[in-house]
Formats: sequence, C-alpha cells, structure tokens
Amino acid sequence: MDNQTAAPAAGTPAVPKPNNPKPKGAKRFFKLLLKQKALIFMSVPFVIWIFVFKYLPLWGWTIAFQHYRPNLSMFQQEWVGLSQFKFLFSDDAFIRVMRNTVAMAVIKLVLGFVTAITLAILLNELRIIFFKRFVQTISYLPHFISWVVAANLISTALSIDGDGIINKVLVGLHIIHEPIMWLGIGPYFWGILGISEVWKDVGWNTIVYLAAMTMIDPSQYEAAEIDGANRFQRILRVTLPGLKPVIIILLIMNLGNILETGFEPQYLMGNGMNAEYSENLEIFVLKYGISMGNFSLATAAGMFKTVVSFILLFSANAMAKRMGEERLF
Amino acid sequence: MVRKKLAMLGLTLLMTASLTACGGGGNSGKNNASSAEPSGNASASNSASNTAQEDKTPVTFTYFNANSQVPDIDSNKTEIGKKLEEQTGVNFKLQFPVGDVNTKIGTMIASGDYPDVLAPDTAIDKILEAKAFIPLNDLIEQYGPNIKRVYGPYFNQMKQADGNIYFLPFSAVVGDYLPAPTIGQGAFFIQRRVLKEFGYPKIKTLDEYFDLIKKYNDAHKSEGLTGFTSLTYDWRTMGIFNAPMHLAGYPNDGDVTVDMATHKSNVYADDDSTKNWLKKLNEINNEGLYDKSSFVNNYDQYLAKVSSGKVLGFFDYEWEVDQAIQNIRKTGNDDLDYMPLPIVFDQNTKDQYLDPNSFVDNRGVGITTSAKDPVRIIKFFDNMLKEENQIMIQWGFKGETYEVNDQGRFYLTPEQIEARKDNATNQKVGFTYFNYSWPMYGTASTLSDGNAYAVNSQPEVAQASFTEGDRNILEKYGVRTFSELFAAPDDRPWYPAWSISIEQGSPAEIFQQKSKDVKLKYFPKLVLAKPDQFDAIWDEYLKEFGKLDVKGFESTMDELIAAKIAKVTGGAN
Repeated sequence: MDNQTAAPAAGTPAVPKPNNPKPKGAKRFFKLLLKQKALIFMSVPFVIWIFVFKYLPLWGWTIAFQHYRPNLSMFQQEWVGLSQFKFLFSDDAFIRVMRNTVAMAVIKLVLGFVTAITLAILLNELRIIFFKRFVQTISYLPHFISWVVAANLISTALSIDGDGIINKVLVGLHIIHEPIMWLGIGPYFWGILGISEVWKDVGWNTIVYLAAMTMIDPSQYEAAEIDGANRFQRILRVTLPGLKPVIIILLIMNLGNILETGFEPQYLMGNGMNAEYSENLEIFVLKYGISMGNFSLATAAGMFKTVVSFILLFSANAMAKRMGEERLF
Repeated sequence: MVRKKLAMLGLTLLMTASLTACGGGGNSGKNNASSAEPSGNASASNSASNTAQEDKTPVTFTYFNANSQVPDIDSNKTEIGKKLEEQTGVNFKLQFPVGDVNTKIGTMIASGDYPDVLAPDTAIDKILEAKAFIPLNDLIEQYGPNIKRVYGPYFNQMKQADGNIYFLPFSAVVGDYLPAPTIGQGAFFIQRRVLKEFGYPKIKTLDEYFDLIKKYNDAHKSEGLTGFTSLTYDWRTMGIFNAPMHLAGYPNDGDVTVDMATHKSNVYADDDSTKNWLKKLNEINNEGLYDKSSFVNNYDQYLAKVSSGKVLGFFDYEWEVDQAIQNIRKTGNDDLDYMPLPIVFDQNTKDQYLDPNSFVDNRGVGITTSAKDPVRIIKFFDNMLKEENQIMIQWGFKGETYEVNDQGRFYLTPEQIEARKDNATNQKVGFTYFNYSWPMYGTASTLSDGNAYAVNSQPEVAQASFTEGDRNILEKYGVRTFSELFAAPDDRPWYPAWSISIEQGSPAEIFQQKSKDVKLKYFPKLVLAKPDQFDAIWDEYLKEFGKLDVKGFESTMDELIAAKIAKVTGGAN
C-alpha cells in the first residue's frame, strides 16, 4: 500500500536522471527522505496530531473490558473480560436495535445517493442561472437548521392537531378520511426519517456532484451532440460515467459510516409508540450505557461499531479494486 | 530559493505553533481561571475563621444546578445574590442544564471536571459513586453552626454507607410541620367550568370524574374540546404511569406501592389497578374524549395544549403543569382554571395524594472535588441558613416584596402577590435562583416567630393569593384550602420510595429502564386499541412484562425500604 502511494510521487523527480543507478533498500529510503525533507518536515505536525488525537484515545477501549468506575485509576479497575459484549449481544433489544440501525442506514444511503445525484443532474441541465441558484439556495437551507429545530418542525407538520399541515392537506384532498398520527405508527418511522434526511441534506449533498460535473470535458458533450445524442442520452453516456469515480469513492466512504445513522432525529422524534422502529444503536447505548453510568457498555458498543465499519470499508474498497474501479486507498 | 525556504520554514513553524497552542489551550485556560480567582484564601480563612474578622475577598464559584431549567446568571446580578455577596464576598456563576441531565452529568464524570458546587438532581447516585462530592462532616463541624441547627436531626439519614455526609438535601423541616394549603403534587385536575355547569358536584371515583367530563363535552360538541390528555415524554411519564397508584389509594412511591403493615413493595404496572386505569382510558378514547396525541406530544406541546384552556381534565403533578396553569390564570378567566381532585377507584378507598411528612434524602447540593475553596463555600452555605437569610431568600425584602403587620405576621399586598407571579420579577429579585436547590429549610417549616417559612404556606398569604374564583370554588366545596379536600396523609417512614437510591447499572436499575420501555410500548397500544382487542393486548403486555425480573426488583426494593425505615426510625447507625 505504501509503495503504491509513495512510488509516483518519488518517481517523478527521479526520472530525468537516467544515468544515475537507482539506489536500493535503506539507502534509497534515506536518499528519498533527504530529498523530500521539506514535505516530511511539514507532515510531522500532522502525524503527531493524528497520533495524539486519533491513536492515543484508542487506549480508552480498554474500559470495554472492565467494570469501569470513573473515580478509580487504571489499576484499580475491575476487569470483566467480555461480559459487556455478552450483555450487549444477548439482550433482546439488541437485534431490534441493529435491525433499525441497518435499515435506517440503508434507507439513508440509497435515498441520499439517488436524490442527490438526480438533483445535481437536473441542476446541471438548467440553463437559466438565476433559477439554478434559486433552487440551490433553497435546497441548501435546511442543512443549516439544527435537528432540534428540524424535529420540532417535522413533528408539528405531522401532528393530528390543528396545525399539522400534512394531515390537513391529505384530508383536504380526500386522500385520507381522518388525520393519521404519523409519528405514532412504528413502520412509518423509517420513511419519515428517510424523507426528513433527504429534505435536510439533499441540496448540500449535490455540491460535490456539481463540482465533479464541472470537471467533465465539454468537448465530450459537443462530440456526443454531433453524434446525434439527445439530452437524455448525453446524461446517460457522458455525465453519469463522468460522475462514476466520485460516486464510487463516496459510496465506499459512506459504507464505512453505515452504522452511524445519527442520533438526534431518532431521539427527538422517537416515542413509545414508534420505539420499535426508531430506537437505534446510539439510543440503546445512551439508555443502557451513558444514562446508567455504564461507560464500559457504551465503549463496547462503540468498538463493535468500529469493527463492523472497518470490515465494510475494507471489503468495499477491495471490491472496487477487483472491479478495476476508483478506490479510496 | 532562500526566500522560498524561509517561507516554508515559516509555514511549518506556524503550523506547529498553532498545534501546540491548541494542545495547551485547555491548560492555559485553567490557569487563567484559577489565577483570576484568588484561591489562596483557603489557608487564610482557615486561620481567620475563629476570629471575628471574616474573609470577604470577592470570589466567584461555579454552581451547576440540574433541578431547574432557567437562564444562566451570575448570582450577584440578583438582589438576593447581591446581599449574600455583601455578607460573604462570594458570587456564584449559576448554570442550568439544557437537555438531558443524566448525559450532562455523565460527561462531567467522564472528564472529572466539575463545577465547584453541584446539585445533580436525579443523577446524584452517579455523582456519589464517582466520589465527586467531598465529605462535609469536618467542614460542618468546624464552620457550620447553622447547618448543624437545621440538618442536625437528619444527620442520621444524610449519612452514606461510609458514614460521611456528602450533600445537603432540601427538605429538613425546622420548627413546626406546616402542610401546604395548595396542591403541589399529584391530583386529577378538572376544569372549573365543568364543575360549575353541574353545580359543583362532589366526585370521588374515576367513573364519576369521566362521566362529568363526558357530559360537559357532549353539551359543548362544537367547541373542539379535549376531554382528557396526558404526557409521556422523556422522563415525564408520570402522567400515565403513576395514576393507578394514586387511584388505588397510595401516595407517590414511584414504581411500587408499599404495604402499610408488611412494608412489602409491589410493582403495580402489571396489576389490576393499572389494567383498570388503562381500560378506562381506552373506553374514553373510544368515546372520542381522549387526546390521542398524548403519546407523541413533547413537553412543550403538552404545556401549550393545557395552556389553551380547551382541555377539560388531566392527571399530573402540579409542578409539572404549573407553567400552563399560570398562563391560564393570566387570562383572568376563572372558568378555564383547574381544580385538583383526589380521585380514587371506588368510594371506599381513602385517597393518599398528599405527601406524608418526609425527608427526601436523595436530592441535594454538594461541594465537588474540583472546588477551589470548600471552606468559603461551606461558610456561604452556613450563612444562607441563618434565619434572617432564609427569610430573605423566601420572602425577599421587607417593605418591598413583603410586609409585616403589628402582630409580626408576614403578609403580601395584592400588588406583591401579583409581582410574585411574574417570572421576570422573580428572576430579578432572585427567588427563581435561590428559593430552592440551596441548603435550606424544608418548605413545611415554620420560622421562630411562628410565621410560615414558605410564602405560600402562610395562611394569610394563601388566603390573599387565592383568586376570586378560588375562594368561590372553595366555598362551594365547604373548605378553606385546597388540601382540605384531600385525606390527611398516613405516616410512612420509608416515604417516598422513589427517592431511595438504586445502585447504578444494577439489575434493579436495568429493570426500571426495561419496564419503562415495555410500558411505553404497550400503554399507547392498550389505550388506543379497539375495545374488544383490549384484553388480548393486555395479555400480550403481561407476557412481555413477565419476562422482566419483577420479583428481583421487588425484593431489592424490600431490602432498601427496610433499610430506610431502620435509618429513619433510628434503628441503624
């Protein structure tokens, strides 16, 4: 892995001197090191930063194997082996919570990708700049609303009382006969969450695709046009293939985060009636870990999540590699 | 070339510098904070304590108060705080939680970084377990004559297992026990216009209560009224969980009812009392009287609903709906105000809504291990407990917020009563910030001159602060105060069982969380079901609830209750 990333960078300046026999092994390493001392020197602070803030805290994982008490020192802690993990995996609620986490993650991932790409393509096709800017601004806005506010907006819009606009509209259009308590029906929760996430982030997510589209060579569009491709065909044959690397990279990165379905919307919109579907891993950890002062359990759950994410990330990356596509590393 | 190199070097240096600045940020901040506050007084005040010269160097401590959610403030920005600062030189940065208290306290414990003074509310067990409070015994012995006077009789109950006192509770009764004339606790509330319309009938049972609501609602179909509402949000689930206990004639012992004779606890969530209660709610729901959104509303939505004046009845604790009721009072329409009633299941049950005299020993305020100067703090506490300061904290300033007549009785003028209802005034004077969550007399206390300690317990004030409508309705029911409608509380030495602390993360605590989850899942189903499905769902609920270790929880509670009784009656250390 190292070789591959380092080789091109190192290779380029070395190429113009063909007479110089290539040094091998340690000698070559130090030569390169000397040559790139400025780069190395510049990267030192960041390596230190990563080590201090990203690797040292891993030490904290040890509390997953303890009956952790915050006031005791490391050596006074009671070591309990895997019992925290046992509690986690043997709890009835865990399976339900995992199901919800994965389901919501998949919904979020698929919906997020499809809507963002669609919107980006549609925006790209727009020729009236004012309208394009207008749509973009409008669709960005919800991203900047905090979930606390957003959840209140959503639950008010969905309420069965006078101010629930969704029920009002649906009843007014005679689609339903009487107001539906949307947040009170478990199976609806995933849908509500999915739509809320799309509403909140679709505009924001289009940015990266719009940026990628500007990188596509305009001559390709011209050539396609000369060949008689219509608008739809141009999207299909030029824009989408042009976006492919970005899509794949983002997909790999998002797969790594798949268990991070977020916490705020589920917590703020969840209630007893939809808990069956809204409670995810984070809320489970909050209830049985942090709220009860059981930090060990919370850590164990966090570790579990990291391991799953790690596996997903690496397998997605390996898959991309095998298929000869863009990949993360 | 040289210039480039220099630029590169400069850049690198800049980055390193910014990094180290980040890393050191926390530390330097701390140093600043401690150097800004003269912390060297600890030893000085130690030696000076016995002399008349008290140390009044200005100092600012932090106090995180999880009991209420009000704006943060510097205590010397309030009139009471200013006075206390003049006396002691101590100012407090008062901080209040936003969001979930347990999470906030959890973070404090994890970081080991506490405010100087902390009132952790429900999270007190975590704080104790983390040993975040310093023991107060020696400090009280040395600097706390007033603390000893007020809390002395309760020291036995305040001691933790290791014999130390870590925090000061808020309910130590000084002087005579004086019950409050108004209902501050749980009751079935009913809108006064309902009672008025039917000539103020005396109702006692749940059936009578709902019949009345139904009759009124039927007569006023077009007004869009809500018959009955409840709240299940976050930890505020008492509105629906606790009612069966009260209906069966027990006071609020939390998840269990406790037998008067055997002192055995019983989880009532799977009892007939709960079934009957939910069945009744199911029935009224099918009559269109129940507010379906009760199960999805958050606290704000609930308060807004009650404030609207369109809700005919609800069961709740007065302190939870107080804001909403105050809003209704502001409209001046007495018909929309509520009347608290001691409703029970059947005529023969004696209601026990009123709290027995009790010492709540699992709430309190303590000094943390992070405190810079515990001696100054404990002296401040002691100073607060002087009777004149206790009067100031509750009553305010003579001639401004209260008056004294020639017999020495305290009273409020109508304007002063009005001013007390205004949040802004209460914040400005400091009542909001000082009259609870500090070392204090319990609210049922009396002062040495016979006046009531709590303003609202003073009969003169209670009478004067009753509205025209209050007086009218009390007269209709032939009583002088609202609490007279309720049966006198029986003596229960363990009371309240909900305040008995349960070990963190123990099976009992996990049971509490799990039973809450199951209840939250099934109660809405039961209430909103078609009537013919009720029994089937109830059986399903019983099966689900039965999977939990109910017996184990009850036996844990039995032990804890026995221990508490022993402690209160003086049987144990």
